[in-house]
Amino acid sequence: MGEALFRQKNGLVAVNIAAACGVFTPGQFQGLAEAVREAGAGALKLTSRQTVVLILEEDKIAGLAEKISGLGLRIAPYGNAIRSVKACSGGPGLCPRALADALGLGIELQNRYMGQDVPKDFKIAVAGCIRGCTDPHCADFGLIACGKDAYRVLIGGRGGSPSPERGKVILEQVRSSRVPEVLDFVLARYRELAEPGERLCKTVGRVGLKEFIPPFIAEEPAGSLQDDEFGEFLRSGE
Amino acid sequence: MRSLKNLNEVNLEAIYKHFEKLCSGCDKLNTPECRESSCLIGFGKRALRFSISKGVLDIAGAKKMIPTGDFKVYYLEVIAPGLAETCRQCRQCQDNHSPDCVIALARTCLEYTVLQSEIDYPGSVFQYLAKVRDQAPELSALIAAELKKSS
Ligand code: SF4
Repeated sequence: MGEALFRQKNGLVAVNIAAACGVFTPGQFQGLAEAVREAGAGALKLTSRQTVVLILEEDKIAGLAEKISGLGLRIAPYGNAIRSVKACSGGPGLCPRALADALGLGIELQNRYMGQDVPKDFKIAVAGCIRGCTDPHCADFGLIACGKDAYRVLIGGRGGSPSPERGKVILEQVRSSRVPEVLDFVLARYRELAEPGERLCKTVGRVGLKEFIPPFIAEEPAGSLQDDEFGEFLRSGE
Repeated sequence: MRSLKNLNEVNLEAIYKHFEKLCSGCDKLNTPECRESSCLIGFGKRALRFSISKGVLDIAGAKKMIPTGDFKVYYLEVIAPGLAETCRQCRQCQDNHSPDCVIALARTCLEYTVLQSEIDYPGSVFQYLAKVRDQAPELSALIAAELKKSS
């Protein structure tokens, strides 16, 4: 696994720092500000992956990495690795439009998977409703909440590319507790079937979507309480 | 689901009243042939009742359950007031418009009673009326007249 360090035109290095799906505590924010100031960087920039990036001299990177690890932060992975997870602010008591705790699930997935080796960069996005503020259709593994604790799972999306790809749905109504099983299955198939350096969308295009559909979940649809509830309500009394 | 507790300004009962009025003029009312789930007006009522009783605005997956095969005939004049009420209650979520929003469900049901197809809702009443005008000028004039009454 590589780290997200990028040499700039001016000779300095951009360092990308990941928090919990973009959530910082005040202490982390304050500590980060101090560490950044000490490292001699003048500014921080927010990225589209919900991380922050700063530019500094190469010999300051090690010191910064040590400081931020004490804050529970880390330099984001880069290269053929699972990247930091993008999750929207859908959570209990948060976005009124969210159907499920997307933020909690995103943080859990990031803690569990970020940095794992894969054939090519692998991006995960979690959205709390169909509006998809975190671009789940453009992620290698996208989750869209479609009911209370029920997620649609898409794979093989790709954004930030001259040839973007829209992810394809592999499962509906998956409970958050079962998402890791699904992701483990998709990752295992990807590692098994991909050619070296092949992005998931290419592997899916070459071997077919079916290879990535976990049979254990497809045979046992979890069902969405809300869908069923309305369906039942609709038919009741007739 | 969006909770109605945060959406005090939405008056779903006001929309419901229009659906009830449409039912009261239906030949099938109080007969065994009245089946709400396969009737556009009945479906709209069920969705509204569900939404009110659960305190939620979005009913995930409900859009695809709309009984689009119901071809009962309605006059534009009796449908327009209900459509106008959905315009009044619409929160104009713009890009965040959800087709499973109960207001959108009610509107779509009413559209299917008088139009060949639903109107792709742009998330704003003004743009919606412009779209209705393109597709059904007479209907848009009736909705506009209804809205004027309340302004
Ligand atoms: S814009 Fe769409 S989602 Fe928002 S209130 Fe109106 S119908 Fe509902």
